[in-house]
Amino acid sequence: MKTGIIETKKGFFEITVAINGEKKELSVKNDESLLDALRRHGWKGTKKGCDTGDCGSCAVLLNGRPVLGCLAPAVTAHEGEITTIEGLGSVRAPHPLQVAFVEAGAVQCGFCIPGMILSSKHLLDRTPNPTEAEIRKALDGNLCRCTGYVKQVEAVKAAAQKLRGKGKRARA
Amino acid sequence: MKNIKYYVCPSTVKEALAVLLSKKYKAMALAGGTLVSKTLPDTVETYLDLKNLPIKGIRLQGGNLVIGAGATFDEIDRSKLCRSWAGGCVSRAAEACSSQLVRNMATIGGNIARPHSFNIFPVVLLGLDAKVRLQTKKGAQLVDFQDLYSSGLGLRPGLDSLITEIVIPVKTRKWKCEFIKLAKTASSWESYIKLFFSAEKKGKSVIQARVAVGALSPRPFRAPEAEKALLSGAGAEAAAKAFAAELEAARAGEYRSSAASSLFKRFVNSL
Repeated sequence: MKTGIIETKKGFFEITVAINGEKKELSVKNDESLLDALRRHGWKGTKKGCDTGDCGSCAVLLNGRPVLGCLAPAVTAHEGEITTIEGLGSVRAPHPLQVAFVEAGAVQCGFCIPGMILSSKHLLDRTPNPTEAEIRKALDGNLCRCTGYVKQVEAVKAAAQKLRGKGKRARA
Repeated sequence: MKNIKYYVCPSTVKEALAVLLSKKYKAMALAGGTLVSKTLPDTVETYLDLKNLPIKGIRLQGGNLVIGAGATFDEIDRSKLCRSWAGGCVSRAAEACSSQLVRNMATIGGNIARPHSFNIFPVVLLGLDAKVRLQTKKGAQLVDFQDLYSSGLGLRPGLDSLITEIVIPVKTRKWKCEFIKLAKTASSWESYIKLFFSAEKKGKSVIQARVAVGALSPRPFRAPEAEKALLSGAGAEAAAKAFAAELEAARAGEYRSSAASSLFKRFVNSL
């Protein structure tokens, strides 16, 4: 059988995963969520909000797709590729989305922003010129309790324009 | 979840079924993981991850719409085939599920594997006369969706069998359909009621009608009196009244009955 089987040792799975482009071997608890495992191993940009799949603060890209870290068992990331907010850009070299969020004033307390930026990244990867409705739909799982979502939508539009190259107008 | 000892990620349905049926593993299938991961029974000792199984994709086969059990809500929402089928109600149902982050993970197979009041697809699949292909220890079986949750089938998908695909019959392709989720917010998983209406007309007569109701109980049900009223050409008012009576009998309560029958009346008037 080609079936991949991992067995726990003293309640832990040993998994191999690429995090932000770097191959890692992690010990994850048998009942641990991807969110808890990432935070326990130091990726604290991934935030723990509701822990029930409602708020989107824990969103990370798993194999290029935004998923809820609180709902995904950590072991299911085995042999996968994860991008957390730390992998998108740095203070010295921020991603255009991060720049756009700051410039638009879309960040208040900032707790929801990592998840929101990763959801936006996925949107722009597959829809480089999104409409406002498409942006709102892509972010409908990322709750923000500080703002009214206006600035974030503006930020995504601005980042989209920047990433496409200046001069092209956004769709209505 | 404390009792999990193994993680298994097979690449074929045959291997997956072997693990499910093995007494050693005490496995439970994990598709998108949005429901199972937080509600895993203590008796389960193995995560059987279905992500590498060839049960994805959406295609036409013999004129039928075939949706792989591993297709995510997002894939169904964005599928041109689903958007063009039965007025796009299959895609609209997928879109009505919770949030984009959940739609990226949750699969149609996982959504129908176990009955639950708030699952989106059961009411739509019931209304579209869908069939479900299961892989069991006796081989592949194609069962009517309406029989999936019946005890007579003797199967528990995800524990002793696997759903591999959903087949929506060609006859429904041009049906006029409407799916409605009545909930507190668009992204609420919980809903007051889920409704599926469909009708096909020939000349001035309605020649087929389906009225299905979800969220009132773990298993969706059809409303035969409302369907009969629609087929008899009794008119929107009479059809809505018949539907309201059926909802009252199902203990839907005044608000749900009133709202649902008004929505049904609107649908009948739109025909």
